[in-house]
Amino acid sequence: MEENKESKIKKEKMKLSKKTKIIITIIAIIILIGIAITCTIGLNFDLRYRDSKRMELYLEQDFNISDIKQMTDEVMKDKKIIIQKVEVYEDTVSITAEDITDEEKQSLIDKVNEKYGTTLSAESTQIENIPNTRGRDIVKPYVVPFGIASLIILVYMAIRYRKLGVIKTLLKTVLILIVVQMVLLSIMAITRIPIGIVTIPLVINVYLLTLIGLTTYFEKQLTNKINKETSK
Amino acid sequence: MRKLKLLTIILGIVLVTMVAFFGVYVQVQNRMEDKVKDYSYAMDLKGARNIRLTVDDSSNTVIKDSEGNEVSDAENLTDEELAEKGYTKEETKKNSDEVLNEENYKKSKSIIEKRLQELGVDNYIVSLDEVSGDIIIEIPENNNTDSVVSNVGTTGKFEIIDSETKEVLMDNNDIKRVRVMYGANNTGTSTGTAVYMDIEFNKEGTEKLKNISNTYVETNTTNNTNTTNETSETTTENTEEETTTKEITMQIDGEEIMTTSFDETIETGRLQLSVGSATTDSDTLNGYINQASSMAIILDNGNMPVAYTVASNEYILSDVTESELNIILYVMLAIVAISLIVLIIRYKSQGIISAFSFIGLASIFVLLLRYTNVVISIESIFGIAVVLILNYIFVNKLLSKLKKEETVNKGIITNIFKETYKEFFIKIIPVCIAVITFCFIKWEPISSFGMVMFWGILLIALYNISITNLLVRINASKGGKK
Repeated sequence: MEENKESKIKKEKMKLSKKTKIIITIIAIIILIGIAITCTIGLNFDLRYRDSKRMELYLEQDFNISDIKQMTDEVMKDKKIIIQKVEVYEDTVSITAEDITDEEKQSLIDKVNEKYGTTLSAESTQIENIPNTRGRDIVKPYVVPFGIASLIILVYMAIRYRKLGVIKTLLKTVLILIVVQMVLLSIMAITRIPIGIVTIPLVINVYLLTLIGLTTYFEKQLTNKINKETSK
Repeated sequence: MRKLKLLTIILGIVLVTMVAFFGVYVQVQNRMEDKVKDYSYAMDLKGARNIRLTVDDSSNTVIKDSEGNEVSDAENLTDEELAEKGYTKEETKKNSDEVLNEENYKKSKSIIEKRLQELGVDNYIVSLDEVSGDIIIEIPENNNTDSVVSNVGTTGKFEIIDSETKEVLMDNNDIKRVRVMYGANNTGTSTGTAVYMDIEFNKEGTEKLKNISNTYVETNTTNNTNTTNETSETTTENTEEETTTKEITMQIDGEEIMTTSFDETIETGRLQLSVGSATTDSDTLNGYINQASSMAIILDNGNMPVAYTVASNEYILSDVTESELNIILYVMLAIVAISLIVLIIRYKSQGIISAFSFIGLASIFVLLLRYTNVVISIESIFGIAVVLILNYIFVNKLLSKLKKEETVNKGIITNIFKETYKEFFIKIIPVCIAVITFCFIKWEPISSFGMVMFWGILLIALYNISITNLLVRINASKGGKK
């Protein structure tokens, strides 16, 4: 009877390790593909961080962004476009796109003149080049805060879960924190989700959720260990 | 009595919710004005000042004498007069062709970033066009923005030159650091506070300053001249004392700051420049301090290798429109509503009570964010969501534990509360550490996230121990346990 139980436990452990192996393999594949894509094609940055062109049109009156959006959709078809109001009177529109051709500019100005009764001309409207924002410049301000927070958290983890082994706990924490972030970025690289304004908040939230997951896991382990010790 | 208590708390929650989400409108003249404080939005949601710095392609006209020295007082001379005196006119570009390269553009960008950091700008985006050298800066719009704009594009070229020969004696490379100092000014009849800019030079600079302060001094030379009086045939000896002063001129970006000579040798390697002094007017004094601080920051970070001009400076509103923010709000509300329905289905009357409690927490939370001046950014919107999720986890855990109990009394509820509390907060200690660290970071997106989370976690701790605890207890004691 007892032998049966033991073999059952062994089988379950084997199953678990097999499951873990599969998960690790999947994670490794995702990270490897992610790294390969990042190194070759690069990450897909949102328009606000990419090299782009911008033109400003003085409409002399308040306007709805949706109206301008309708015009740009007609003229620039499938292009990703950012439309913003300019200055405190909000009577100028800024249109940013990856590229604005002369025909598109002319056609957009014609539509604006028609709708708002302005006398804008293509000659007097300049197209500015907007340089890209480098990924490292986006990340840079977050490195120190994350570094400091992680360091304090590691010290806390080492003290709180010392019974589980300081080095083991620290290694697990660092590894999981890094792997989870790498998986997230790899998924973004593979799925070509644009790196935009929600990327950093997403990274922060995933970081915090990983921390909660880690403490839940370590707490469970600690309770088991304490229970084992008391039962002995 | 218990029913009344429960009803009162629920009505209180409804009231707070109305205030938080719909506002308190009071008639002001002919319009209705919401008296509830508005949110403060960050750059990504409000808009930013966009500054385009372009490489300065202008030229300066320099007049030189026959020996090649720069002549300063010859601007008004005609070409003929210049030719007569042997002067020549030269056009010198502000940026020579040699400095216009990618390396210098990158260095300029890096100096701008350092200046922005030290000027206390807590959120900015700086992008560089590596081909043209144009730099685009996005900074938040506030009272300091104009001052930042005026300082950020300055070249910051510091020079001490010979007033006569225009020879450069010292420059930015000799500076170690620049600080602002202020202290009592008791010179003559005036008393008050004087503001100084303290320039500390490096080893090489100290040596140079020592030599300069030895050389550029006031010197008296005695000239003996003999005058012969022809009528009386006598010769008188005249002694004339001539004072000659060698002076230096201090320049920042070609603008003369002061021309002076030295009374004594400066061996300390420090030079203190008076920026201004005020007797009682604190505004004037603050103005001097700000002026000196800005100058100190510019000099402290070195001069930009490329001179720039501000090509455009305009306020551009965020591309995240109000309607898009409303969509986010509605999505969040929908998720909250679904989650609360699940809570009600799972835990029946305790679920309803907890749902009310949850709404109360959310309402107080948004009011708290308004009145604690927490800046709302994209990051902090995610923070708000995390706080609501954490509270939901807490309430769900609490109710599931209560559900497992056969009988529920005050003692059991207190114990379950304590247990859930302990479990929950132990699990989020690392999160609390991260949040507190983020609060102290001088980078608006992350500090706003930290502040939102800080107030949220604090509210979860205080609100649940008071309101949720009370509601659950009242509801359990009136027989609505499960």
